[in-house]
Amino acid sequence: MILSVDESQALAPELVMVAGIILAIIVPNLGDARVRLPLTSMRVPILWGGRRFELTSDPRAPGVLSAIALAIACLLSGLAIESADGMSISGVIQVTGFSRFMTMVFTAALAITAIASIYRIPSTRLLPEDLIDPDDSVESSLMDNRRQVDLYILLLMVALGMSLMALSSDLFFLIVCLELASMASYVLVGFHKETEVGGEAGAKYFIVGSIASATGIYGMSLLYIWSGSLDFDTLAESWSSMGELEPLAGIGVGLMLVAFGFKVSAAPFHLAAPDAYSGTNAPIAGMLATASKAMGFVAMMRVLIGFAGPNDGVIAWGFALAILAVITMTWGNLAALSSENPKRMLAYSSVAHAGYMLAALAALGSGLADSDTQDMLQMAIVFHLAVLVLFKLGAFLVLTLIEIDGGGNKISDLHGLARRDPIIATSMFVFMLSLAGIPPLSGFLSKFLMINGLVTTTSGTGALDADGVIPWLQSVDPFFLLAIAIVLNSALSLFYYLRIGLVMFFEKPGSESPLSPALGLRVLVVVSMIFTVLFGMGPASQWLLALIETAIASF
Amino acid sequence: MGDKHQQEWNLLLPLLPALLIVPILAVLGVEPLDLGFAAILAPFLMFPIVLLVGQIWNGNDIWVGKLKEGGILALASLAVSLIAAFWMIVHFLSLHEKKVHGDSITWLNFDVLSHDGTQWSVDAGFTNISFGIWLDSVSIMLLFVATFLCFLICWFAIGYMTTDEINSNRNHRFFAEFILFSMGMFGMVLADSFLWLFIFWEIMGLCSYLLIGFYYWKESAAAAAKKAFMTTRVGDVFLMVGLLMLYDIYGSLDFAVVFDDPSTGVGGTVVEASKLQPALLMLFIGCVGKSAQFPLHVWLPDAMEGPTPVSALIHAATMVNAGLYLVARMVPFVDVYHHGVPGMEELGLIVAWIGGITAFMAASIAFVQNDIKKVLAYSTMSQLAYIFLGLGSALYLLAADHHHAGYFVLGGALFHLFNHAMAKGMLFMASGSVIHEVHHAHHDLHHHGHNDDHHEEFDPQDMRNMGGLASKMPVTSIAMMLGSMSIIGIPLIGGFWSKEAIIAETWLGALEYEPLLLGPAILAVMTAGMTGFYMTRMWMMTFAGQPKHEASAHVHESTPWIKTPLVTLSIVTATTGALLASMHVGEFLSGEEAGFHLGVVDALKHTFFPEKQALMVVGYITIALSSLVGPIIAMKVHGGKLADGESANGMVAWLVGLSAAFKPMDVSGMANSRLADSLQNRLHFDDIYQWTISKTITPMSAFSAWFDANVIDGIVKLVERTSVSGSMWIRTYTTGNTRDYILMAAVGALSIFVLIVGVSQ
Repeated sequence: MILSVDESQALAPELVMVAGIILAIIVPNLGDARVRLPLTSMRVPILWGGRRFELTSDPRAPGVLSAIALAIACLLSGLAIESADGMSISGVIQVTGFSRFMTMVFTAALAITAIASIYRIPSTRLLPEDLIDPDDSVESSLMDNRRQVDLYILLLMVALGMSLMALSSDLFFLIVCLELASMASYVLVGFHKETEVGGEAGAKYFIVGSIASATGIYGMSLLYIWSGSLDFDTLAESWSSMGELEPLAGIGVGLMLVAFGFKVSAAPFHLAAPDAYSGTNAPIAGMLATASKAMGFVAMMRVLIGFAGPNDGVIAWGFALAILAVITMTWGNLAALSSENPKRMLAYSSVAHAGYMLAALAALGSGLADSDTQDMLQMAIVFHLAVLVLFKLGAFLVLTLIEIDGGGNKISDLHGLARRDPIIATSMFVFMLSLAGIPPLSGFLSKFLMINGLVTTTSGTGALDADGVIPWLQSVDPFFLLAIAIVLNSALSLFYYLRIGLVMFFEKPGSESPLSPALGLRVLVVVSMIFTVLFGMGPASQWLLALIETAIASF
Repeated sequence: MGDKHQQEWNLLLPLLPALLIVPILAVLGVEPLDLGFAAILAPFLMFPIVLLVGQIWNGNDIWVGKLKEGGILALASLAVSLIAAFWMIVHFLSLHEKKVHGDSITWLNFDVLSHDGTQWSVDAGFTNISFGIWLDSVSIMLLFVATFLCFLICWFAIGYMTTDEINSNRNHRFFAEFILFSMGMFGMVLADSFLWLFIFWEIMGLCSYLLIGFYYWKESAAAAAKKAFMTTRVGDVFLMVGLLMLYDIYGSLDFAVVFDDPSTGVGGTVVEASKLQPALLMLFIGCVGKSAQFPLHVWLPDAMEGPTPVSALIHAATMVNAGLYLVARMVPFVDVYHHGVPGMEELGLIVAWIGGITAFMAASIAFVQNDIKKVLAYSTMSQLAYIFLGLGSALYLLAADHHHAGYFVLGGALFHLFNHAMAKGMLFMASGSVIHEVHHAHHDLHHHGHNDDHHEEFDPQDMRNMGGLASKMPVTSIAMMLGSMSIIGIPLIGGFWSKEAIIAETWLGALEYEPLLLGPAILAVMTAGMTGFYMTRMWMMTFAGQPKHEASAHVHESTPWIKTPLVTLSIVTATTGALLASMHVGEFLSGEEAGFHLGVVDALKHTFFPEKQALMVVGYITIALSSLVGPIIAMKVHGGKLADGESANGMVAWLVGLSAAFKPMDVSGMANSRLADSLQNRLHFDDIYQWTISKTITPMSAFSAWFDANVIDGIVKLVERTSVSGSMWIRTYTTGNTRDYILMAAVGALSIFVLIVGVSQ
């Protein structure tokens, strides 16, 4: 299958990623190898194998390559948001502003992950004399060097799978792309297979993930039986022509919810997530918490709003999702409360955030939302997914910085961080405040948009002549309670977010030594911190919201 | 020495660009009125710069040597304010209008949600809070006083603060807070609404706390700061209540709305005195706190714990004038000649009585103080009380529709504010100069030579350690002499012009219209005599006689940073009284040009040959008491020749000689009496307050503390414990076993299935 010029232009970010994968394979193998032409004594250089060039033998090359490829892809997809015109390719891909926006979010998160990985999994060029007397450290750096390529190829695969998933206009293609990204991420989770927790985390994540996927695929097959096609348009037609909920359709969507629920780590499918986060290294955990979660939500929106939306006919999943949302946020926050491992804590916080977004999604499924409030809620979800890349991933970047020196698995590793490195500690504190939803940070704006959408959608159902809070609450639609649940949970979550600030600023540091210099990582942390603030208030946030509005319009 | 001075002057070069800012703005077409924003913004923007840079560059050579730890930057920002103020004053005077109101900048817009029984509705832009510049004769006078004195005091502080080792590496904090304080005063004077007046008022309250407690590691300084803050807070609460009442009456706190016609309230209703008067009384209590009047005066003497420039700043340029300014702002409410609300005579009487009582009380306490700054503190209190007395008389006379006399005394009171600010600013700086030099002399003695048994507590502020400084500190002694003369009211100098107007018109009011004014009027005359005594006493104890401590014998005069403002203010004090009086400043300040003319000849005539016989008697008694009786007694008790071989210049020498000519008088019997003892204890006000608080507020707060610790914390702890145990419980489901995870996923899948099918059935 050959792409036309227009089509390849529209798919430019994906093509860049494919090119990145190919280059990542080829480049480290470039060398001065020659081959003798048969029957002659002529040796022709073929550049493949042999003694590596200085540049290509540098173990850092794949990391830099993939970071550049992802950054270019991010830029290209960002530029294409306004101009995407819904071009359909091969019947399974539709290039819309929404999918380009999501590609931008995915690739941005992956690019940051790639840069962080360059520092996290060090690649040192070894001198020949090191190899004569190999000790432990040499061995481990050899191991690190050897798997550089694998890591970055996997990262690029994840990005490719995610962005194709966002583009898909066919349920089957969506699942395939989702699995491409998921499979790659399972391997990434178990990347440190030589450590006990690493292997265990990878295996657990893989097993539970496979079961969830299998359930989802089973659901998809039921939908195929019910509708006869997996094209979203056809599915939407069948759904809206359905008088009452047909069991096959209901069960199919429900089973797909299980698969996506695992991806967004909604309770009770989230249980493997904290293990995975704490078992893997911080950049990968950050990737799971942001890009992977965004992928799950996009898939969920594609299915639930894309064709099974309540306005087209049957109100099916809103209530189930609402219950799931409340359980998810409460479970996440409660479990995070007593976590002593910062990565676990962030994992649970990410579960809680999934709960907030599920609540917004549930309100969309309540059938109460008109087109205005529908846009509001979708904007809230997408905005949250986008800014999560800043402050959730930012927090993981700080943990990466600590991990480089061997810590990062205990909250005590954060003790006195403000004294060791005030800028990093301040950034971490800003990330925590943003996660908690403190104004004027972007975490506040996203939570505010969600609660605003929920309240606007549901409060109109309350009795206008009620003369007290209680009678009004009794008359209002139960979906309104989701807003209250979010507020109460936010109050609960403050405890563990602020605790991080407390230990960073007031505890005595375990070691006085400064953090590793990792300049690129520091720049990323500070830039994330600045954008966390900027996207919370003022012109930058207006710009982002306008961009998201454009994207949502083409959903 | 010359080289060193040259270098010090070079430090001022960075000021030059700052001097150009306002002219450039004006050339660029900024309205002169909008320069008020520049006057406020310059110090406001410099405040964080000085603070942060000072924190980062702490101890840096350039920062300490060239920028004087931020002092130069602070001075530059105050220079911008000063020039902007000049520009605005010239502009205002050229307009020949009574008041000018600039365009306001809207700050906040409030939408109001209302419910009419069936429907909720939103009134967009229901009310907004805006900030603009309001200029009239009162505000430009105070603007000039504030900007001019803040600039000079900052100049002085550069010399005073940076030469003392105890302050090194802390001065940036001082200068940052200093300019924030100044900004508060500028903003308060220029604000066009009571709300902004209140906001800036509170900024000053905060800064006074910070600056009085500048030496926070000294327990007494920390306590004094707390005392000042808490005492003014009592007043501020009343002020806020008063403002809310005003808002209730007028529906706005903007001057433009309120003063347009004070007799018409919100929606065109007629304002009743019974509603307005309590509101104004509340405002007045706020002023009493801020200006340290009886009974909220207790913080002012303790405020001397701050560095001396702070005392000068609080007592002359800024904080205490805020209360006076607010009382002067009340005039349109009572002025029945111009739309005032009739029937509020009591307000003026109360203000006048408070003024009279405070004037007398403070002057009597000042009799026995030995700390040079404390004498000045009580003198401030007493002189402010004069101004309150004048304002009170004005309020009464205007409310009673005697507008001629009312405007006269109003102008006099505001003029006294000006004179007092200039003189007191200078006196504090002069006292600072004395303290600084005595301290350094003692320090030098201590380190060079007498490093033996010299460890007794030495207080460089105690006048009992001074004496005979006239020959060693010529500039300071002349400055202090002129300042004291202005405060005493020696004929033809500074405060004389304004004080006479206050006393004469109060007596006029008492004799002709309202016998109740007689009390404050008599107190005012007695206080005038007492002022003569204690100011002379202070000067004599410091400058005349023999040195009473060896440190005082080794004093020499200080850096140009300290001298320049003293010289400037000496000239101002000596000349502006007569100059401004001849320019009809009184009627200008009262905002009333119609009617009478008070040129210098008229002023002299008014003072010395008034039409009413009674006033003439009062006038001469006052002059005799304040200029002759008080000073002569003080000279008899504390005067004396300088040490042999020391000589002072001209007038000072004459004064010292004069004091020696009087026969010494022994007052030790009186000094040990019970009256003197209770005066030493500040008439036991602090003890009474202490006792009252320990009987009322302490038990209440003990109960609150118990309630907080047990009930409120108990609830919080309960929530915490529940959450933590919930957390522990929910964690037991995360077993770590993959098969449990799969089981949970299966349970989840089934529940989703049940929920979807169940709901849709």
